Parts: sequence; C-alpha cells; structure tokens
Amino acid sequence: MISLVPTPDVLSMSRVYFDIFLLLTFPLHLILMNAMIGTTAIALWSHWRKDPVCERLAYQLAKTLPLLIALTINFGVAPLLFAQTLFGHYLYSSSVIIGVFWLGIIPVLLLVYFGAYLYDFKFWSLGRRGIPVLLLSGVLMLCIGFVFSSNMTLMLDPEAWTAYFNHSGGAFLNLSEATLIPRYTHMMIGACAVGGLAVACLSRLWQRNDADVAALGLTVGMRLFFAATCVQLVAGIWFLLSLPADILLLFMGRNMLASSVFIIALIVVVLVLRAAWNKRLGGSVWLTLSLIYLMSFMRAFVREGYLGKNFVTQLVTTNQDFSPLILFVVSLVIGLAMIAWMIKAAFNAQEGQ
Amino acid sequence: MNYPVWFLPEIGGGMLMALIAITHVFISHFAVGGGLYLVMTEYKARRDNDYQMLEFIKKHSKFFMLVSMVYGGVTGVGIWFTIGLIQPDATSELIHTFVFGWAAEWVWFLVEIVALLVYYYKFDSMDERTHLKVGAIYFIAAWLSLFLINGIIGFMLTPGEWINDHNFWSGFFNPTFWPSLWFRFAIATLLAGVFAFFTTAFIDDKSFRYKMTRYSSLWCLVSMAVVIPTGYWYLQVLPSATQEIFSVSPTIANSVKVGAFASAAFIVLVTLCTLWKPKWHTLVTALLVASCALSMMGSFEWIREAGRRPYVINHQRYSNGIALSRVAELNNGFLSKARWSTVTQVDETNLEQAGAELFKFQCYACHTLDGINNDICSKTANSSFNGMVKYLSVMHERRPFMPPFIGTQIEKKALAAYLVGTLHGKEITIAPTATAANLGQQLLDDCTMCHGSDIIVDWAVGKTGEDVQNGLLNLSKLDSSMHDYSGSQAELDALASYLVNQSKGGTQ
Repeated sequence: MISLVPTPDVLSMSRVYFDIFLLLTFPLHLILMNAMIGTTAIALWSHWRKDPVCERLAYQLAKTLPLLIALTINFGVAPLLFAQTLFGHYLYSSSVIIGVFWLGIIPVLLLVYFGAYLYDFKFWSLGRRGIPVLLLSGVLMLCIGFVFSSNMTLMLDPEAWTAYFNHSGGAFLNLSEATLIPRYTHMMIGACAVGGLAVACLSRLWQRNDADVAALGLTVGMRLFFAATCVQLVAGIWFLLSLPADILLLFMGRNMLASSVFIIALIVVVLVLRAAWNKRLGGSVWLTLSLIYLMSFMRAFVREGYLGKNFVTQLVTTNQDFSPLILFVVSLVIGLAMIAWMIKAAFNAQEGQ
Repeated sequence: MNYPVWFLPEIGGGMLMALIAITHVFISHFAVGGGLYLVMTEYKARRDNDYQMLEFIKKHSKFFMLVSMVYGGVTGVGIWFTIGLIQPDATSELIHTFVFGWAAEWVWFLVEIVALLVYYYKFDSMDERTHLKVGAIYFIAAWLSLFLINGIIGFMLTPGEWINDHNFWSGFFNPTFWPSLWFRFAIATLLAGVFAFFTTAFIDDKSFRYKMTRYSSLWCLVSMAVVIPTGYWYLQVLPSATQEIFSVSPTIANSVKVGAFASAAFIVLVTLCTLWKPKWHTLVTALLVASCALSMMGSFEWIREAGRRPYVINHQRYSNGIALSRVAELNNGFLSKARWSTVTQVDETNLEQAGAELFKFQCYACHTLDGINNDICSKTANSSFNGMVKYLSVMHERRPFMPPFIGTQIEKKALAAYLVGTLHGKEITIAPTATAANLGQQLLDDCTMCHGSDIIVDWAVGKTGEDVQNGLLNLSKLDSSMHDYSGSQAELDALASYLVNQSKGGTQ
C-alpha cells in the first residue's frame, strides 16, 4: 500500500532558514494567545465580583482584549506560513480530515472577536450582562484551542489518517489520541499562567490613571501566574509521560540537545516560581519569555520525534535564490521601524494627554 | 491526489471559496482604499479647520476598524484555511514558490494593524501631524499588502516566464501584474466611497450629510472612471488561450452579465441618489450601492477564477490539483497511484465504486452532486453509458475550460459507469465493436452528453439523408454552442441513415 504521507514540494532554500523563522515567530503567537486567554479569565473574575475597583479592572481588560485578539491572529500567520512550508504535507492532510472543525475556527473566531468588541464598547451599558458575552467569547477561544491541539496531534500521526476513509466529509476529531487531552491541558494552563503575567505587566500602564486598578491587576495577575505555573508542573509531567516512550526518551538522554534543553527548562521553571513568589515582575517576564522559547524548542523535538517514523525527504532546489529572503528581511526591518515609531508616538500622546 | 479530498458533495469547494473569498476580497480592497479616504479626508478637515468633518472621520475610522480588521483580518486567515482544504496541492505550490512574498505581506499586515489601532485610539490625544503620519503609514502598508498579494494572485492566472525558469520574480511580475494592480487599486478607492455611504447615512446635520455624501460619490465615480480603462488593459494582456476560455465558458458569460448589470446600476445609483440628489441617500441606498459593488467585485473574481480553467495555476496544475508534469505517468493508471483512494485496482466488477473515487479526485473540484454550483447530476442526465465514455475522451476539446480525463481506458469506463449508472440508475452495457449495422446508433451516443437522442430523431423527421448530412455538418448554425459534425464520411453516412430510419419509426 502507498504511504498516505504526500510528496512534499521542493524547498526554495535550506530548511534551516524556515526552522529558524518558525522557532522565532511561533512563541510570539503563543505569548499573545496566552495573554488573550489570561486577560479574558481575569476580566471574567473581576467583573463577577461586585466591587468598583474590580469592575474598573474588568473595563481596562475589556479595552485591551480586542487588541490582543488582533495581534494573536496576526502573529499566528507567520508561524502557520513557515509550518506549511516545512510540514504542509502533514498539516494539509490532517486539516482535511478534520475539515469541518478546522474551517469552523473562522466563524467561531469572528464570534469571539465581535463578542470582545461588544464587551469593550458596551461595557457600562451591558453591566452584568457583559459577563455571559465575555464568557461565550472565552469558551469559544478554548474551543479553537482544542481544534488546534487536535490538528497538531493528528498531523504528527499519519497512521491515524486512515480515519479519512470513514470521514471524508471532515467531521472527525482526533479524540482517541492519547496525548491530546494532556497536551491541550498543558497549553491552556500555560496560557492562564502567562496571561496572568501579561495582566500584571499591563497594570503598569494603568498606574498613572488609576492606581487602585493597577495594584489589583498586578496582584491578581501575579497570583494567577504563580498558581497556574504550579499546576502546570503537574500538567507538564502528565503531558510528558503521555508521549510515546521513544519520544519521551529523547529528553532522557537519547538526544543530548533535547535533554539539555529539557534540563535548562526545568531549572528556568524553578527560577520562574521563585521570581513569581517574590512578586518580581521584571524577573518573571524575562524568565517566562526564555521558558516559552525553550518549550517551543522542546515542542520541535517532539514533532521531529513523531515525524521521524514517517520521514519524507524534502528536496531543496539547486538554484537557490536569496533575493525573496532579502525582500522579507528588508520589509521586516522597515516595518518594525515604523511600528516602533508609532508605538513611541502613541506613548508620547498618552504622556501629553 | 497527493492529498485527501474534503468531500462535501452537495456543497463543493467552489461554493465555500466563493463565500469566504469574495466577501474577504470586498473588505480587503476597502481596507486599502478606505485608508486613503481616511487620511485624505482628515487632511482636508484639518486644513479647512472643519471640526464637523473631523468628527465624521473619527466616527468612520471606528466603523473602518471593525469592518476591515475584524471581518477582513479573520476572513483573510479564512482564505488560507479554505484553499488549504480544497486545493492543498496548489496551495502548497503557491506557499513554496512565494513563501517570502507571503512573509513580507505578513509584515505589512502587522504594520496595518498597529497603525490602525494607534490611528483610532489616539485620534483625540495625538498631535495633528503625527496622527496624519500614522494614517499615511496605514495606507502605505495596506497598499504594499495589495502590491504583494496582487503578484501572487496574478501568477495563478498568468504565470508567464515562471513556467520556464521557476524564478520568484518571473512569477511575481507576471504579465497581468501592473494592469491588475491599478485595476484593483481603483476598485479599492471606489469601495472607500461605497463604505463611506454607511457612515454618511447616519449624519444628523442635513447639509453636512449632503456634503459628505457628495464627497463620497466623487470617490466612487472618479474611481469608476479608472476601473474601466484599467479593466480593459487587464483583458488585453491576457493570453489568447485565456481569452478563448472567456468566449466559450458559460460561467464567464453569466458572470459578465451580472457584472455589467451591477456596474450600470452602480453608476446610476451613485449619480442619481448620492451625487445629484443626496437627500435621497439613506441606509437603504448605501446597502443597494454596496450590493452592486459586491456583485461587480464578485463577478470579476468569478471571471478571473473561471478564466484560469482548466487550470488552477495556468499551464502548471489542473483545476483538480493534478500537475501537468504527472499526466503521462497517471494515464498508465490513476487509481493505483492515488494514495487517498479506497479503490486502487479497477476491473469489470468494481466499475461504479472505482468511478466514485475518480469523480472525487478528478471532477469534484468543480462539480457538486445535486448542489447549487455546477451540479454534475443535471449535466449528465441525458447521457448514455457509451456516450459518456466517448465524451470523456474528448471532453477537454469540446469544453476547453475542462481538464482532460486522466487515467486508463478501464478507469474512463469506471467514471462513466458512476456518472451514468450510479447517479442516474441507467444500464451499464459496454458497446459491442462497431459494425455497419450498429455504427449509426453508436455515433448517436456522442450527442447524448448534451441532449437526449429523441430531440435529434424529431429533428430528422421529414428530412432526406442528404438534408440530415447537411444539417449535421452545420450544427453550429443550428445552435452556436454545438460543434459541426467532424467524423469520417462513412460515419456521417451511417449516422444520417440511422437517423432517417429512426425518424420513420424504424427499429434498426
């Protein structure tokens, strides 16, 4: 029988470039996605409490949420692009198999977005009725995350693709996959932790206008960060142990680089917990950013471990042309300069105000 | 065939693409032109110290942000998802060819988002010059997004020299790049005016409402004056093969009619109800004008998509995702190399089952089963099994917008068995070798792909053999969609004599 893994297209240059771009951009999407989910969770909690400061905190978060959604979507585009370049032959296949749910992400995301804007623009007029609006957006965000986890696990397991022969209409979710629930739990608890930290950071911006809200945001954010990181220790071990033995062993000495990353990540987790316990915001931020990048590297090792069993050689063109890469890099440099200028101008405007 | 087919027989991939793509394209063009409208109108308001206009533009920027960033941004990702699901082969090829073009486009998309957020949220607190600069950055980023995407979309219709050298820039600056860029930019500024009508409809002050409605009408009409010549320029640079498709495709003919009516209605509505008599302008007018613009845009995109046929990437990959480079190999056996087929070997015992798989991999990209879009059931209702087998051999010649059937002779029979037997419950009897006695009847099967044989027999009533022969040789005069008979003289004799005999109630 022919393998179900499609023949990949030829790469325009060495895969190293795409790997680097993927590893650089994916954590940025992850951070924003985490901030979006954490912001939603804390906004729900603070809106639920009938306290004026809590309510004002919920309002500040309501104003932030649409911005985070916009940036999460945007920063998802780049890693999806590079993932399609490197793993498209896996990703397209698994996406078709769960097609209904995969495409369903789009209308659901529209609902999430409109819910967030409704919550923002009508915060005061909706009052307590804003809670179910945001709750719906939050639940739908979790659903989107679940479909992503389902697709990311299915793409790694071509043996499970035979499900297509009974589900060619795309109404399939990879629910029997042993790592799906631990992986999803790990991602969402991580999102709450990093989201808490993000709210704590945002609180700094509100210091001048509303010190009470800033103090509450900092406290609640750091508490959520610490608590969720503790739970994440358990969820992370659960996810690790759910991996097939040959992949788990990559982190236990079989692959020195993967094992080193794992050990460094464990050390950073301890440092993160210490910084969070001591309420050191700056230290927590830098350590968490490092941890997210380390986790992304570990994720890449897991993916390579899975795909190694169904390895398909991806050819690289002999006529490598670097000019399109230059187009991208030049655009990136100019674009980032423009963004930096606009952000500075926006902060200056805030100061002036 | 390299990838699984997402099989939704009653809906079809084309319908999904149309729903998401056309609405996205509509909004994404507005996102470009609307940016220019915002910054130019703000400049005018600040230059003239017109606070009413400034307030209007602030209100409009909120509407603009919600429509372009929320709906435009999400459906933009939606198009990626959709094309990856319905055309994974072609999507993969596009991604691999233009990965850094897409990546650069992502950068400008990011700049757009940041600029728009700063523009809206800092409207009141930022100094005038800086705010205008942020607006200008938004517009430049949006225009560069259009510039980049235009190159990639144009590549699919006219890949130009890329077919030979596979060079990024040959594909990007393809033959339709420049006309398409200016045409799309004119559409974008036209849509800026169209969407502004929604905001102007809610202005309370009557004289100011008239002023802004007229101002927005000028954006529409001046843009329309650019759309027409750039659209003509675009048509002129299309390769002759594509222009030929334009002349024979029924899909394109229908879309041209819709586009022409919509354009005429658009010009009349904008001239009458917003420019000449702005007091007639209401939310209903705005909706009507937007519907006309959507129909114009939709018919253009539909024509562009249909004009590519039988390819999804011109001269590189057929609409069903099969690369031209693989055709020769697959003609020696399609299903045996189709990794996602449940049937890999065909014989006389599994014809219909194999045919169902062939339909999925070769026809479903454009045809539905009892669906709204290009329903195969209605198109094959008249055909006999043998007529269908013959038709599948010449389908791409009769209808140049369709790809050829790819596979062996038995696979062709399998597809015919599915289309005629499974779908319509007709008898599947393989025709015996042609003899003088049955040649006429077999030739008549050729006609049944388009209409029943009874129509032809009725037409032959009262005619002599010579009249029938003349008629068959001039079928295009009878109906322009038919081809003149092109078989040998012996076959023509046999067919004419069979028809004359049948018209007299014969049983031969």
